[in-house]
Amino acid sequence: VTKITAIAFGIASTLFAQLGDKQLRQPLADNWYHYNGSYDSRRHSELKQVHTGNVSSLVPSWMFHVPNAARMQSVPVVSNGVMYVSQENEVYALNARTGRQLWEYHRVPAIQRAPNRGVAVWGDKVYFTTSDDYLIALNAATGNIIWESKFADFKEGYCSPAAPLIVKGKVIVGVAFGDRGLNGILDALDATTGEILWSFHAIPKPGEAGNETWAGDSWKAAGGDTWLTGSYDPELNLVYWPIGNPSPDFNGDVRLGDNLYTESVVALDLDTGKLKWYFQFTPHDTMDWDAVQIPMLIDAVYDGKPRKLLAHADRNGFYYLLDRETGKFLHGSQFARKLNWASGLTPNGKPIRVPGIEPSLKGTKICPNSYGATNWISPAYNPDTGLVYFVALEGCGVASKNTETFRPGGFQYRATGDVPVPDETSRMFVRAIDMRTGEFKWEQERASAHNWGGGLLSTAGGLVFSADYEGQFSAMDTRSGKTLWHFNTGQRLNAGPITYSLNGKQYVALCAGSDVISFALFDKK
Amino acid sequence: LQTYPSVRALLWLLAICIASPAQVVKPRNPLGNGLDVVAQGHELYNKSCTACHGRDGTQGDRAPALGAARRYFRLSEAAIFDGIKTGIPGTAMPASGLPDPDVWRIVAYIRNIRSTASDNDVPGDVQNGFGVYRGKGGCSSCHMIRGRGGLLGPDLSSVGTQLTLEQIKSSLTHASPPQAGFVPVEATTLSGEVIKGVTKNEDAFSIDILDSQGKLHLFTKDELRSVAHQPESLMPHNFDKTLTPSEFQDLVAMLSRQARIKVHKEQQGENEVGR
Repeated sequence: VTKITAIAFGIASTLFAQLGDKQLRQPLADNWYHYNGSYDSRRHSELKQVHTGNVSSLVPSWMFHVPNAARMQSVPVVSNGVMYVSQENEVYALNARTGRQLWEYHRVPAIQRAPNRGVAVWGDKVYFTTSDDYLIALNAATGNIIWESKFADFKEGYCSPAAPLIVKGKVIVGVAFGDRGLNGILDALDATTGEILWSFHAIPKPGEAGNETWAGDSWKAAGGDTWLTGSYDPELNLVYWPIGNPSPDFNGDVRLGDNLYTESVVALDLDTGKLKWYFQFTPHDTMDWDAVQIPMLIDAVYDGKPRKLLAHADRNGFYYLLDRETGKFLHGSQFARKLNWASGLTPNGKPIRVPGIEPSLKGTKICPNSYGATNWISPAYNPDTGLVYFVALEGCGVASKNTETFRPGGFQYRATGDVPVPDETSRMFVRAIDMRTGEFKWEQERASAHNWGGGLLSTAGGLVFSADYEGQFSAMDTRSGKTLWHFNTGQRLNAGPITYSLNGKQYVALCAGSDVISFALFDKK
Repeated sequence: LQTYPSVRALLWLLAICIASPAQVVKPRNPLGNGLDVVAQGHELYNKSCTACHGRDGTQGDRAPALGAARRYFRLSEAAIFDGIKTGIPGTAMPASGLPDPDVWRIVAYIRNIRSTASDNDVPGDVQNGFGVYRGKGGCSSCHMIRGRGGLLGPDLSSVGTQLTLEQIKSSLTHASPPQAGFVPVEATTLSGEVIKGVTKNEDAFSIDILDSQGKLHLFTKDELRSVAHQPESLMPHNFDKTLTPSEFQDLVAMLSRQARIKVHKEQQGENEVGR
């Protein structure tokens, strides 16, 4: 025993460098601490070593192959020189400078159900959720499992693909799938013990405000899931979370009413989980237009005074600007060119519906289609240009409904769907609009409109990075949209890119299919 | 939700699997798996099976070895019973004429030589074993069980399902080379700072070291003046001398029962496996 005493002394009490709340609140620069980069989820980094003038020299610095992975949707998290990437039920820790593996964790048993989009870091731990609805806490230096805590029941059909959001020792986790009549919950767990501290029910129960927006018992199998990571405002102490579609997706006849809080963004008190305000983008949705887009928190002058804003481009085809202190609607404008279900928005942001444009027994042409005019893949906001960047789809579908009924146990409860209009080709774009006015600035078409591909990243180097489904990873000029660099990764891209800096060198990285690739400027040494 | 259209088919398959009737419970050894049954099976095996297989489960002239510590090589009791009773079609394995109780005894023996420590009813006081682990043995300064303990050595939360009983005993009493990820190393930086710990990664150009304080040091080799590896593991191997026989037995009993894999194996119908 004496042999090890010298080296092991004190190990139990002194651990891996502690990552504190203050660091997690920092603007996005050297590290990438959260799924959305920073609490404001703008995915805009202050790093500018790589810029419009030299991005043509960007080359792969290292690659890491994730065994058995395919179509990874994980966004890497970088902290203390270590990069953490996940896929379903697995986490890998890599040296972010070399791509060499430090450890890996595999969940046993591993229920296969959905992608995993990433981890969260806090203190000396790494957190991620599994497909059987456990939150797992791992030691950040070794991957040793510290504890696991169950927050939903996979036997009911729930799974948890989203990366957790960690704020002040609370790990906030959501669930899928809303297409199966599974009511959404958002849980906050104690980051030290795994204890559930509060649960927000996205579908209000009888006696709770909002339950009256569901006819009869329809609230019981109602959807409204929480499957994408939200945002946080430290000054207001509010968590912003996007809520998914109502069930059954396409037959609204059985759930008359506005169907709160589906298709909304909700603002919750971090300490209690109590609802402060909500804004519903699509009341009584019948097109599966989850409002599950990342809420971007922006501080800017609006109407002559500094305001706390929330920007959100929705699948329903409209772009929204809200006051995030109150939820007040400030601005809305149409960004989808193909849009026939509403003729505009009222002064308080409610859609003015066009009668008859809803799923029918025979089928109705509806634009946008059920993939939405945008989707979960990450948008970005650059404060230097004042532009919001996001991926937009122009497409219509023929939508129909039926009388499918709910079956417990995690079965589809969509009551049919839509098919593309045969004589119209869908097209996909990276689009830049003015944050305050929604005015079009530029767009770049993506080659394939069949799948979303990956998300966007903005940098102070004047670049927007974009990962498309055909495998091209490209950099565009933030102001003009002109492509300045591209690299064929040879794999389908389904994840958002990140950037970080180590030892004075800026890296741009992403999960590409089954590989993690990190790029840096070519170094002649 | 339109997120994973291509995964939808898989999800349907999964849904169908979940909805299918519960798996049929396989017949289990009516004699149990006590060490006496195993011993009888061992004797029967050496008498009846060694015309082809080797003695004591080793490789024979005409048939393969039956001992294998890796759990996924193992079949259920029922499958081994069937293989002996009726032979294995397409191979030289014939049907045995032994009465059923003797076949079950051999099954118990084969299962035993394919088992990990958690499959054995290792005698000893488990609570006391934890006391030794945390106290006199000093194990928890380097090892972790269920989130508590040190980081320099491997996590032991599932060691009972990863090692055989003999391997656990041997690791406590015999020197062995360090496992990958736990190789002791001393690195000196260009500025003369000395970092001691274990290597989490090393290749020709980089080395990543976990030090005794649980801190990671991430180096490229051109940032280091020297790297010195130690051939021996940090693991002490004299516990048979530093502990009393009963303390040693209690420690082994406790380690043998460390298993996180139980649910998984039960789902596969091998409900007799693990703890």
